Amino acid sequence: MSRPERLTDEEQRSLLARLRAGEEAALAELYDRLSPWVLGVAHRILGDADEADEVLSDVFVQVWRRIDQHDASRGPLTPWVLSIARNRSLDVLRRRGRWRRKVALVEAEAKVGGDEPAAPADLAEASVPGWPVHQAVHQALAALPEEQRRVVLLAYFEGLSHSEIAQRTGDPLGTVKTRLRLAQQKLEESLRYLKDWTA
Amino acid sequence: MSDWLGMAATPRRPRAELKARVLARAYATSRRPLAWPLAAAALLLLGLAGGGLLWRRVTQLQSDLAATRDTLGLLRQPGTRVVAISVVTQGRPGELTIFADSASHRWLVTCHNLTPNAPGEAYQLWFVTEQGMRTAALMPMDQSNPMVLAFDMPQGAGKVMGMAMSVEPREGSVEPKGPMVFHVDL
Repeated sequence: MSRPERLTDEEQRSLLARLRAGEEAALAELYDRLSPWVLGVAHRILGDADEADEVLSDVFVQVWRRIDQHDASRGPLTPWVLSIARNRSLDVLRRRGRWRRKVALVEAEAKVGGDEPAAPADLAEASVPGWPVHQAVHQALAALPEEQRRVVLLAYFEGLSHSEIAQRTGDPLGTVKTRLRLAQQKLEESLRYLKDWTA
Repeated sequence: MSDWLGMAATPRRPRAELKARVLARAYATSRRPLAWPLAAAALLLLGLAGGGLLWRRVTQLQSDLAATRDTLGLLRQPGTRVVAISVVTQGRPGELTIFADSASHRWLVTCHNLTPNAPGEAYQLWFVTEQGMRTAALMPMDQSNPMVLAFDMPQGAGKVMGMAMSVEPREGSVEPKGPMVFHVDL
């Protein structure tokens, strides 16, 4: 598996320092780099283009306001921003009481916890910063047994608790916990090298 | 490594006009509030953080309670049969106890002192049914810790006549192929 390119430590420090200093161009740069991924997470969770646009806006406002809360020693900028996108999307999903609609939509497509459709044609590999990481994460997920991948995706992209996953899949709670634990271990092992991939 | 899972989502190019709107909204946000709103916000954040921690703890406790109730419910069933099985794994004596509830068709299995699996291997429990072996649970063990498993009896496989456990590849097998740890009739 080819390893993704990464920002140098100096570039990372520089981007963070510029963001913390309030340099507007730095936020624009971060937007260019991460907005396709933020929108991808939001759209995957919400399944609604308008709501995903709202989340995208909220995420970059939050990043701009709270960049001081990012602890570089705990990890790169990208997963921090994506975690904001995920949490914000799940908040929207819960607040608007759309669980049932979302579940019905997903089940109708017979893709419960499954993979997403292929990327839109306009998003070619070379045009999206971070594409190699996308591939790396996909490969790590694809290497999981189907039942483990399913529970991971239900937990991450639908925000389901262990009990809710057990209810959804019809598996015993203990089995769900075991699968998540095993999947977590495998993903950590597969993606450990991304810890120093900084943006 | 769930931090990176967001990158599994298919990237989507935002509409071009969105960038200016998003950035303008962000830039309009004050990043240096006055001291008193900062203090108020800090207090609020502290409260929210405390509430968040409390909520997370409550959620975890609710989940644990549900699991415990589930286990106790099975143990309290009057028709629950208890079968203790002595096993030897790589020379180490261990024990499995099966609590079989024929009313709810659920089983609880506790395992003690099993030898940890070799890398790439796992213990796999099997129902011995009228129609052959049906998988019950996969139990990868990296440490020799006691383990409790609850699972349902197989549907449409006829009467369950016994239980078996074998050593299989870590991803599990459709039918037992590895060395058998035990095989008992119930």
